[in-house]
Amino acid sequence: MIGSPDLLAFTKENDVVDSYVEPSQLPEEFSVPLFPYCGNANPWSKTSYAKFARDFILISEFSEQVGPQPLLTVPDGPKACGTFDLNYFSLRIMSVDYQASFVGHPPGCSYPKLNFVEDSKVVLGDSKEGAFAYVHHLTLYDLEARGFVRPFCMAYVSADERKIMRQFLQLSSEFSKASECLKTGNRKAFANEIEKKLKDLEYTRAVLHRETELQKLNNGCYSTQAIEKANELANVEKSIYEHKDLLKQITSYPNRKMKDPEFLPYDSDSLVESADLHRDPESESVARGELDDPTNQRRPSYTPQLIKAKSAKCFDKRLKTLEELCDLYFFHQTMDQLKQIEKTFRGDLCNIYTNQIEQALLKKQKVTNFLFEDFSTWEEDENVKQFCSGNECLLDNLPPPASVPSGEPLSLDSYTSCVETVPIKMEPETGEGGPQEVEMTDSIPCEIAQDNLDEGTDAAMKGSLSSGESIEVLGTEKSFKAQGSQVNSENMANVPSPQLLRVRRRTVTKRANSEDSIEVLSTTDSIIPEDLRASYPSAIHEEDSTDAVEDRTSGQMFPVNPGTDVQDECVYKTGTSVQVDATCCMGQEGLAYEEPSPELAQECCANGVVKQEPRPCCQRDLPLQVDFVLDDANICEDPLAGLSHEPNPTYLLDETSRMNLDDLSDSTSFMSASTSSDRTCSPFLYGSPVTVKQKKKAGQSAIRFIRQYPFAQQAIFCLLSGRTLVVLGTDEGTVRKLVSALTIYLPNLGKYGESVKPWLSSPFHLSDLQNWKLIGIHKMASPTGSSVLHSLKRYSRYVSILDADNKTLRCPPYKGTLMERLVDHRTQIKRGATYFLHVQSMLTQLCAKAFLFTFCHHLHLPINGGEDDDVVATRRMKFLHHLGYDQDDCHVLHFLSELIKCYYLHGSGKGVRPPVFGFSYVTSFVYKI
Amino acid sequence: MSSSSCPPQSPAVAKTEVTVEGESPVLAATFAYWDNILGPRVRHIWVPKGPPALTLGDGDITFLANHTLNGEILRSAESGAVDVKFFVLAEKGVVIVSLIFDGDLKGDRNTCALSIILPQTELDFYLPLHAVCVERLKHIIRKGRIWMQKGYNIVSVLTSEIIPIMDLLSSMKTHSLPEDIDLKDTVMNDDDIGDSCHEDFLHKAISSHLQTCGCSMVVGSNPDKVNKMVRTLCLFLTPSERRCSRLCKADGSFHYDAGLFVQGLLKDSTGSFVLPFRQVLYSPYPTTHIDVDVNTVKQMPPCHEHAYTQRRYMCAELSALWKAASEEDVAPDTIIHADESFAPDLNIFQDVMHKDTIVKSFLDEVFLLKPGLMLRSTYLAQFLLLLHRKALTLLKYIEDETQKGKKPFRSLRNLKTDLDLMTEGDLSIIMALAEKLKVGLHSFVFGKPFYTSVQERDVLMSF
Repeated sequence: MIGSPDLLAFTKENDVVDSYVEPSQLPEEFSVPLFPYCGNANPWSKTSYAKFARDFILISEFSEQVGPQPLLTVPDGPKACGTFDLNYFSLRIMSVDYQASFVGHPPGCSYPKLNFVEDSKVVLGDSKEGAFAYVHHLTLYDLEARGFVRPFCMAYVSADERKIMRQFLQLSSEFSKASECLKTGNRKAFANEIEKKLKDLEYTRAVLHRETELQKLNNGCYSTQAIEKANELANVEKSIYEHKDLLKQITSYPNRKMKDPEFLPYDSDSLVESADLHRDPESESVARGELDDPTNQRRPSYTPQLIKAKSAKCFDKRLKTLEELCDLYFFHQTMDQLKQIEKTFRGDLCNIYTNQIEQALLKKQKVTNFLFEDFSTWEEDENVKQFCSGNECLLDNLPPPASVPSGEPLSLDSYTSCVETVPIKMEPETGEGGPQEVEMTDSIPCEIAQDNLDEGTDAAMKGSLSSGESIEVLGTEKSFKAQGSQVNSENMANVPSPQLLRVRRRTVTKRANSEDSIEVLSTTDSIIPEDLRASYPSAIHEEDSTDAVEDRTSGQMFPVNPGTDVQDECVYKTGTSVQVDATCCMGQEGLAYEEPSPELAQECCANGVVKQEPRPCCQRDLPLQVDFVLDDANICEDPLAGLSHEPNPTYLLDETSRMNLDDLSDSTSFMSASTSSDRTCSPFLYGSPVTVKQKKKAGQSAIRFIRQYPFAQQAIFCLLSGRTLVVLGTDEGTVRKLVSALTIYLPNLGKYGESVKPWLSSPFHLSDLQNWKLIGIHKMASPTGSSVLHSLKRYSRYVSILDADNKTLRCPPYKGTLMERLVDHRTQIKRGATYFLHVQSMLTQLCAKAFLFTFCHHLHLPINGGEDDDVVATRRMKFLHHLGYDQDDCHVLHFLSELIKCYYLHGSGKGVRPPVFGFSYVTSFVYKI
Repeated sequence: MSSSSCPPQSPAVAKTEVTVEGESPVLAATFAYWDNILGPRVRHIWVPKGPPALTLGDGDITFLANHTLNGEILRSAESGAVDVKFFVLAEKGVVIVSLIFDGDLKGDRNTCALSIILPQTELDFYLPLHAVCVERLKHIIRKGRIWMQKGYNIVSVLTSEIIPIMDLLSSMKTHSLPEDIDLKDTVMNDDDIGDSCHEDFLHKAISSHLQTCGCSMVVGSNPDKVNKMVRTLCLFLTPSERRCSRLCKADGSFHYDAGLFVQGLLKDSTGSFVLPFRQVLYSPYPTTHIDVDVNTVKQMPPCHEHAYTQRRYMCAELSALWKAASEEDVAPDTIIHADESFAPDLNIFQDVMHKDTIVKSFLDEVFLLKPGLMLRSTYLAQFLLLLHRKALTLLKYIEDETQKGKKPFRSLRNLKTDLDLMTEGDLSIIMALAEKLKVGLHSFVFGKPFYTSVQERDVLMSF
């Protein structure tokens, strides 16, 4: 029996392509190759036989003296075209010139007429040379040229024929602009030339006239000399007439292209840059748009000369160069444009083409572009609420604000049992006084404020609270709930407008005294339930101070009372005037709060406690809803669920502290300015917009990172879930490189990388964690260094710390599958750019899921009136699980969803960030290599 | 346009008037050659009947046709090469696409040009269809060159493709898809998946459509149903590919046209549909066959197999033409039967073998979004962005692995793992998109094992 191995002997293993013999005897030249790739050919080798390494632009001229000749290439230099025969190719591309228009003396006209011919565009190739070109033919004017015209062409030469045709419209458009620019400059130069010639002629006429008169006086009117002079004078007169006509023609050019709004051959800004020493004074007038204006009186300092009326055209005369034919300003503009064209179309077609497709697709998803895309795709803050259609609006679909996945409603008692009231002195940002001050129900020293004052770092820290080193003052969800019962109705009466839709409630501050000396505090006025919308962003997980392995039972300080269904929820509406009356406990000066609507407050807050969440009748306000619901289902799922009253870590995570830092930008900048100069500089890239190119370069560092650090998944999980990651190290280069590598994973990076602080050598503050999600910190042994480390230590439970020196990572654990696909140290991807593309794909997918989760109808709203919030929350979680996301992955989705929501609701005016600064307490671990 | 400034046309120029249904965007087609004594000469002109879109006299046509050969005296291409030139002549207001080739005329080897002239206003309309027209013209030129070699009249051969191309362009003027498709006209507007199209069928159709590089034919008896599916499939194409797709015509007069991405075709009154084997095979990409009457989806083999079969068929066709004893011996569409060495497998459409997860999850999810709010179109855009980015990533991965083709690709398993393409259907979809970015990728990656197996089969059959 004959099997496959037997048959293999009959085949040429190494050259299966060439072994096929077509029996039909059809000559090869009439056939088609049976196999697409013979020998060493491959999809990338199609262009390999070209004699130039990369695309270039060639400008050629059909010289009336020497025929077609190459003039210059972009880029210039011999490297651009290699051994490619430019002379031959110039001959080839100029021989197809199509300029059939008549130039010169038309029949029946005694003087020359200029014809403004349209450019022609040709795509052609030389298959033998492997060169293909887009050729843009144009005609320039030269007073000394035959018929006043000089035919030129600009050719984009590539070895990829497909590229030329696929990019035809773009090439055509760009070259048309360059051509128009060149021709505009040429018309100006041509007009100048005629003017000079006219001056010469007029001067000559004057001289001749004088001489003629002299001849007449000396020799009589009919002497030979007098007649000769008279004839000469007549010729000059005629020539003047002709040149005046030419000048009129050239200056009355219809200029239709100039009327094209898209056409801009020059601009005043670039004028300064491009106008170099060679620029003649008239360029200024040109730049002012005076070109082609017949009324424009040019008065260059030109001394007229005596000339012959008819200049003999001879072939030994030097023709003007391209530069001389064109006004210098326009010439350099054209060259700049050509360089830009070369740059734009450089490289493989697949990159260019994919990029174009991407751009088109990204325009259709503006609401999510800010997350991971190049700023150029979303910087135009167009109406992101494009989804609104008629009376329907996506607001209806937005999830309720609280991003708590699920949870059993907690009783108010459960909060008060573990959280003490903390007196917090709030100071208004704007200095508005007494009425906005908060009356504290308890009086606990504001230790943080004292600390900060001691440090002298920032006056804005006044009012922050701390109980020594062990106290962090945060707004917590729990505390908010507790606050709900203590609304100060007096203050609520300060209503600026009857249309107030947002309620600000004055609440007491609760403090949680726990065994591990962690206080969980909330602000008073600084926090309003509306601000509790986002909790997962900026999630900060509490860690045990003792060691990496956290005692999860620390969560006991938050006893759960599943049986209680008191919910602290309310609907708040926007539109109030902002009154600043408090400073948050974290020292955030300048928190802006809005006065409550007493009516609404009374509706929502019976007995000072908001118990009922409005139902879908207020759907438009749903995004502003607060969801305090905690899911007991999660508790049950927890391994520790068996312990009574022992919340699981997940639950603790859900127990999110939140703080509204939406309006903290001013205070932050203030703090930044006051602490260190490097706080004020533009982060990450020194003021330059972050580009895909930079990210691609960072891809190499990223791939090195994921291979070197086995805990890369945890680090990147932190970034994607909104937990600030601090990269700590002594060597600036190492830290910066790590920060750069991690940047590619960071959502909402910002146009200038505002979310990244690549190198910080001064203490940071809690509010910075709202803005900076990736920080490189200088570890140094100095007073400054110790203060930096001090601040890091203070906030260490809220950040993840990657120690570049010790190769350790301190962060919460991660359990999920998402990071495995995104960060796989076994990946065989070789190049950083390719790895970046892979990451980009994965993040695109993640972004789409976040979009789906955010806007999925029926997901965030009760389907029927009987459904309570638990059901809705459970449904949301189930939905994410159904999408294939595990518990920790859900945090990522929640965080991204919150960002999308914020962007959708508020745009990117102040930078996209969650209005709420939230923390979640979760065990941290120390990972080592 | 005046022809006064043009050189007088040759009295010997033959002209064929082509009856085209509807408005024809084509001004004329010409066949010209370089006469070694007289220079460029026009041999034949094809013009559509009816009122021309642009007044173009015969003199102008001759002038333009001659112009296409300008500079070709310098041509140094290899024998058999067909070079493409493309002119946009604003002064004349025309666009000319010209295919330059060499051929024997009256015993001499001449440079020839087959050209199609359109008004410049049709530039945007024509560009997406350029590749289709060129590929089809190239093949007819291959046949024409054999005809010329034999001393027969090439015009009849050329006419056999010029007329269908005129018909194609004419049909595209009225029935091509727009760049932007309203989701409301597609299945994607259903309240829930399966409302107007069975869930599995829709999934299979879109999946296969993507696996065959976005090339599909939709057949059925109900034009509305067919066109809805056509529009749905076009959602997954790029804007220029959509403009290279065609809706079905209610009276069913359109025939299958090779090279279009998606085309709707109506069954006849008896409920049958004749599939032109040769045309389907000559499509640059494999095709998915979708019958909306019986909800079936069939697909052609992947690109490398399709390319191989296509080239074999072409070779067989050209061989048969080469062997033809006389001009009447071979009609262009029947020559395959004259070649006894190649028996094509007419069963080219197979069941969709590879299941995917990408399209499945997309369809499951997109219907969760509320229709009519642009949510779905946004989600679709995200999905397409994902596909394109994955395709580029895959391409770069292979580039890196093979040092741009210098080494064979041997790490498909790693690729699947690294790029999360473990499911065969997912890999097929992404590979198909990558194929459009880099033509020949399939042959490079999968070609060698396939060709080896084909050889084995051939050797086996020869025993």
